[in-house]
Amino acid sequence: MTASLHCSGIRKSLGGRVVLSDLDLTIKAAEVVSLLGPSGSGKTTLLRSIAGLIDPDSGTITLGERVVWSEKSVLPAEKRRIGMVFQDYALWPHMTVAGNLSFGLRAQRLAEHEIAARVGHALEVTRLAAFRDRYPSELSGGQQQRVAIARCLAARPALMLFDEPLSNLDAALREDMRIEMMELVRREAATVIYVTHDQAEAMAVSDRIAVMREGRIAQFDTPRAIYELPADSFVAGFIGGFSVVPGTVRDGLFSVHGAAIDGVRTPGAKAGDGMLVVRPEDARPAEAHPDNRLQGRVLSTAFQGRCWRLAVELGPQRVRLDWPEAPPVGSSLAFSLPPERCIILTA
Amino acid sequence: MVLNNRNAAAGGVGFGRLPRLTALFRYGGPAAVYAVFGLLIGLPLALVLLQAVMPGLFAVGRGDWFLSLAPLARVFASPAMAGSVLHSLVLGLLAAFTTTALGGAFAVLVQRCDIPLRRTVSLLPWLVFLTPSYLKALAWVLLMSSGGYLAQLGILPPSLGASFFGLAGLVFVHTLSLFPLAVFIIGSALAGLGSELEDAARLSGAGPLRIWLRVNGPLLAPAIVLSFIATFAEVLSDFGLASTIARMSNFGVLTYGIYAAASDYPVDFPAAGAQALVLLALVLLVVVADRLLRRRADPHLISGRAKPARLYDLGAWRWPALTVALIVALLALILPLGAIAARALTSTLGNGLVFSNFTLSNIGAALSPDTPANDGLLRSLFYAALTAVIASVMALLLSAQLGRSNPVMRTTVLGLSLGAVAIPGIVLGFGYILVWNRLPGFRDWPFPQYGAASLLVMGYVAAALPYCLVVILSAIGQLAPSLTDAARLHGIGALRRLVSVTLPLILLSVVTAFLLTFIRTVFELPISQMLIPQSGPPAPTLILKLFSHDRDGLACAIALAAMAAAGGTAALIWYPLNRALAFGRSRPPTTPARPGEPS
Repeated sequence: MTASLHCSGIRKSLGGRVVLSDLDLTIKAAEVVSLLGPSGSGKTTLLRSIAGLIDPDSGTITLGERVVWSEKSVLPAEKRRIGMVFQDYALWPHMTVAGNLSFGLRAQRLAEHEIAARVGHALEVTRLAAFRDRYPSELSGGQQQRVAIARCLAARPALMLFDEPLSNLDAALREDMRIEMMELVRREAATVIYVTHDQAEAMAVSDRIAVMREGRIAQFDTPRAIYELPADSFVAGFIGGFSVVPGTVRDGLFSVHGAAIDGVRTPGAKAGDGMLVVRPEDARPAEAHPDNRLQGRVLSTAFQGRCWRLAVELGPQRVRLDWPEAPPVGSSLAFSLPPERCIILTA
Repeated sequence: MVLNNRNAAAGGVGFGRLPRLTALFRYGGPAAVYAVFGLLIGLPLALVLLQAVMPGLFAVGRGDWFLSLAPLARVFASPAMAGSVLHSLVLGLLAAFTTTALGGAFAVLVQRCDIPLRRTVSLLPWLVFLTPSYLKALAWVLLMSSGGYLAQLGILPPSLGASFFGLAGLVFVHTLSLFPLAVFIIGSALAGLGSELEDAARLSGAGPLRIWLRVNGPLLAPAIVLSFIATFAEVLSDFGLASTIARMSNFGVLTYGIYAAASDYPVDFPAAGAQALVLLALVLLVVVADRLLRRRADPHLISGRAKPARLYDLGAWRWPALTVALIVALLALILPLGAIAARALTSTLGNGLVFSNFTLSNIGAALSPDTPANDGLLRSLFYAALTAVIASVMALLLSAQLGRSNPVMRTTVLGLSLGAVAIPGIVLGFGYILVWNRLPGFRDWPFPQYGAASLLVMGYVAAALPYCLVVILSAIGQLAPSLTDAARLHGIGALRRLVSVTLPLILLSVVTAFLLTFIRTVFELPISQMLIPQSGPPAPTLILKLFSHDRDGLACAIALAAMAAAGGTAALIWYPLNRALAFGRSRPPTTPARPGEPS
């Protein structure tokens, strides 16, 4: 039913611009993987190539045991058994909710009782049974989103693709929808590729995240591993409000470029130019790690519920810190960073 | 969009398909489109152009291939023909100016002001748009001539009546007849503008006058220029007023010159060709200007989605504003239709609107079977229905074929169609005479044959197909590509996608194209005049002929019956269908969403 996916050497250019360059990606059956990246990084192109909605220039895409795309043979999108939840939901406006669900099943020539069972089940789990005879235009955004998922579930695809499915919902609804959606997906044990540019969403839904940059995968790992050890400054900059501070390492000490402050102890860091990754939540009072003390000027404060998010100026650089109180803007702030949390990335 | 289409073509390279079938899908569509355009429009047009520079091409007896600019020189040397070029230009420029002014003011009035009966008033441009120009012209002749209705009622000073038959009258009737075009163009720009920018200007302290001069005015400028260009082209290509008021006033214009040279004895094809060349060159200039301007203008202002706009509260001025709108309605629609109805129901024009002059004999003649009037009416209704079926089905099939090819092809065909829309009907009609009456191979072709109704219908289809293509292609263009992508991923094949997903969603546009073609064709004048079948004239030809033979009562009765039949059919089909295709939307937008309403 649910299948693994293997992409190798995928290249694609659009209008002379390289969108995917020699990309490899392997996803296990029943795994949920996010493609995370800024716009233009190629994540949607990769998703549409996997779906069969566009053809790569070269490479191989294998779904389960079957090659669905190579330069020699192409399985058209209609036959790949891949489901997709579109950003705009793509609900057929002239069909009712039940019609949207059963349309594809009828085309597969399933028996009527099988269609009824599948539609019933999908509507049941998405709590849409009461809306089965409504048209999409008569539903709210969240309900339309659930219909899109139900339609995908009813088709029992080998692989489910989500193309920024929550981006059209308002913030309050988004988290509820996300939890509900992933619960369903996990229960059906579907293999899922989830495209998003929201790192919090990617962290929340995925087993593994593929961070994409300029048509390549910059890092492919579990959310936790990426958070703890971003592969490079691009990934670090894209994840969770990390600050990336350029500087130089000498004798295990990191000094910030252009700032007249003492070095930060970074055990095991290679000598030379590097980037210090500062996670906001790592900020400690100055006396906690007296050897790793830094001093800067507070630029702004914003209340975030359990703490204050400060922007602090370190010479020409800025870092974001979580702090238990709000010092006056313009005042000087001393803080420290635990040495074992100080990662240096090569520039 | 681009991704989707590229792939739609690539999707044909599937497992187990015959390569030949794939090739047919890939190249058959574009080939079919080019073949249809080439035969229906390209060939006739090419012959017209050749005729203009090869006067001996179709000479009776022995034709020759000598290139000569003599016919063109003759156009500019002959006072009558040079005068008609000048007349066309002057009339076009003046009418474009007045039409744009009236249309722009009307658009602002109904879209941005809280006048009473706003919805009803905003229907007016559509009704005027659907009434053929020569009927309005004939109606104004009935109203303005020395013994006409307005003189009888004593509202018309004789001097005004005399000056009506000339440039002034032509500008007046063109303005009232074409102002809907300006309303549509400027109105859609106005709807795309919304009032956000205006609100921003107000918050920056600008007054209404300043806002219109410095914010809305400049942003609407491209639409205003487009409207000017479009009306100018319409007036240049117009044949309805040219063969009525202009002819009666001896105000020669290019289109009538072509008609006279091609069909009045002795026929002078080289002269017709040369005048057609001049007209086409002018129209081509206009089309190029239009394209350049559209490319430069912000597309979202020209065709963008309607944004909510605030209505101006006119206070006590709303009643004078409504009065102005009603006067436009009176002049553009109510008076002309009233005059036609009055004339259809009376025995003579001179005896006026007295009870003893009323009669049902004209209507009776138009409606009783086996009279020439009724034959002409039924003939036209039948040809129009046939044309509408052929043109809309062809446009649908061609659009579907195009959906499988690349976006460049789609843009090309859309451009071709928009260009073909601008070709004056009289030139196309002349081209049909050249192809089917003179060109070896076509001359003796059994079907369609010159002088047969089949050729008239073919000409009608050629004139209507570009319109239908534009309507249907733009409807397909508005569908989100993800709708068909989703169907593909659910395993739905190409044919089933067309029938079950695309067609239901564009059905209203297809039917709209059908009905517009039907209405236009019932009253189509230039091609009807050029390709009168031997079996008998269609209604437009009959109306003009009866009118010029002083049987204007019967002419008006035919016109009235044709309008009732065409309008009634359209309303009977369109409204129920519009309701049936609502798909849960309680009230589907019938016209581009009106501003001021929550969207």
